[in-house]
Amino acid sequence: MATILVVDDEFGIGELLEALLLDEGHRVITAMNGRHALERMAEAKPDLVISDLMMPVMDGGALRQAMLNNPEFRGIPFMLMCAVPEAGIANRISHYDAFLRKPFKLAEISSLVAHLLQAGHSSSPPA
Amino acid sequence: MLTEHEQGTYEACAAAPRLCSGIKGLDEVLFGGFVRNGIYVVQGTPGAGKTILGNQLCYNHVAAGGRALYVTLLSEQHERMLSNLEGMSFFNPACIARELNYVSAFLLLERDGLAGLVTLIRREIVGQGATMLIIDGILAAEAQASSALEFKKFVHELQMLAGAGDCTMFLLTSARDQLIAPEHTMVDGIIEICDTAYGWRSERDVQVRKFRGSDTLRGRHAMRISSDGISIFPRTEALLHTPPRRQFEVPQRRISTGISGLDVMLHGGLPVASSTLILGPTGAGKTSLGLHFLSCSTAEAPGLMLTFYETPEQVNARASTLISSFPPLVAAGAVHILWQSPSEDLIDRVASDLLALIDKQRTKRLLIDGLLGFQDMTVQPDRIPRFYRALANELRGRGVTLVCTVEVPELVGPVVQPPISRLTPVAENLILLRYVEHETTLRRVLSVMKVRDSGFDPRLREFAITKEGIVLGDGFAGARSVLSGFAHEAGAPEAQGESDAVSG
Repeated sequence: MATILVVDDEFGIGELLEALLLDEGHRVITAMNGRHALERMAEAKPDLVISDLMMPVMDGGALRQAMLNNPEFRGIPFMLMCAVPEAGIANRISHYDAFLRKPFKLAEISSLVAHLLQAGHSSSPPA
Repeated sequence: MLTEHEQGTYEACAAAPRLCSGIKGLDEVLFGGFVRNGIYVVQGTPGAGKTILGNQLCYNHVAAGGRALYVTLLSEQHERMLSNLEGMSFFNPACIARELNYVSAFLLLERDGLAGLVTLIRREIVGQGATMLIIDGILAAEAQASSALEFKKFVHELQMLAGAGDCTMFLLTSARDQLIAPEHTMVDGIIEICDTAYGWRSERDVQVRKFRGSDTLRGRHAMRISSDGISIFPRTEALLHTPPRRQFEVPQRRISTGISGLDVMLHGGLPVASSTLILGPTGAGKTSLGLHFLSCSTAEAPGLMLTFYETPEQVNARASTLISSFPPLVAAGAVHILWQSPSEDLIDRVASDLLALIDKQRTKRLLIDGLLGFQDMTVQPDRIPRFYRALANELRGRGVTLVCTVEVPELVGPVVQPPISRLTPVAENLILLRYVEHETTLRRVLSVMKVRDSGFDPRLREFAITKEGIVLGDGFAGARSVLSGFAHEAGAPEAQGESDAVSG
């Protein structure tokens, strides 16, 4: 069982991911934006962050940068979700471990999460 | 049977992946099927056919390699529903509890509310890999919601699930008068099934009230439930509103009517790919003339007869006494006879079958014997002129030369009233057959009244129906007022009341 932080401002997606990951036996924490996510991470360090890019207050790019600036969070695998193609967001975020194009497929999520959790135990944090 | 116009529209919309329903006619109305992973409301009064539609969608989806989940809320018991489906050709018990699962969720809904229902659906979609979901009786879920907002949230969660789960969803519900229910504003499409009484008769129809992501064939389309399940027959005049773009380049070529004298009157026969009405009272010789036209069919240019009032056997028997070459043409397959009872039926089904047969047989000559058969069978006779115009245009586009017989009620008399108003302007060629009383004898008279882009011989010609078929005789030299029905010799005093006689 892993602790996974799901960050999304859109109603329904966070709930769906939460329900799906709970069904798979994980512990799930949710947040509505990047700042909220950092607060939740301070309460309980997650094993994986799944975050939207475009959010109010603090977007996914700023969240990822804040994590990279914090040695405690730098090594946490980061899965980015976005409705636009990956090539279109290159200047807004860097150093993420996986990209998930919305609308995503349930079948993709499970295998990607399992892969990142597995990789998270063995990978070294980005410089 | 997509027209090229619709095919073009369909191709333009093909960017959104489609899910073919496999239901005859429905994918044509939807220009290629439902948008995959969409969520649709199917609404209709009890008995309209929603449950059959829902099941047929599932079985067709499974037959195409998908997996489906059928969730019932306060609707039929599964055993009863399945026993009602047993007679349907799409029903396949082998896939039940394998690729197709039935789940009754009402008790769960009562206990755990809409959240419990969403959880059940999500787990089934994930666990079973269902790519189609039917929720039968969505009103029960709506009743369970504490507010309209809660129900909207439920529909929203279903939408998320549809997209993420690669699952196309259908919510079956009883009809409402107006499309303002919470789910109506949110879903990707609304399909409405109506069962309407027309006097003693009832007909079902289906209408797409909303469809995101694509145009559809708008308006009401006839729907039938048979042992093959639901079939939809798109409104012919909507489906064929644009003739094929492979528009037949109308040549100046003529083809024979099968009567040499008439060919001369027409300055060489009927224009290829034109439409002709033969008007006349009963027994005047309309069908005989039509049979002559068909008797010029060949294996390379086959003919087809759509007959409403005589069976193929009756047609063959009649033809064998008039045109000896006709029965061998039928036997050889150069002429096909399609019989359609003019009792209760759907004109759009007949048109669909007719065009399919024309495509299959590469028909070049078509005789519709008794055009009024379409009017007799339909509950919407006001559609007939538009229906006929669309059909005639389509046939022209396919290079088919069309001849239709139309019975007029007046046996003898000065007035000829086509029984369908606004029909004659549509016909490119018009031939009138009449009875004429002349010297105490009833005689048959033929006249050409109109030929497309062509001159013609306007003189009246007497004709006889003999063992060799129709034989044209001379005109009525010296007679006057023939088309009044009461001919008299020129110079003889006119009978009272005949002086105002005009031709039809």
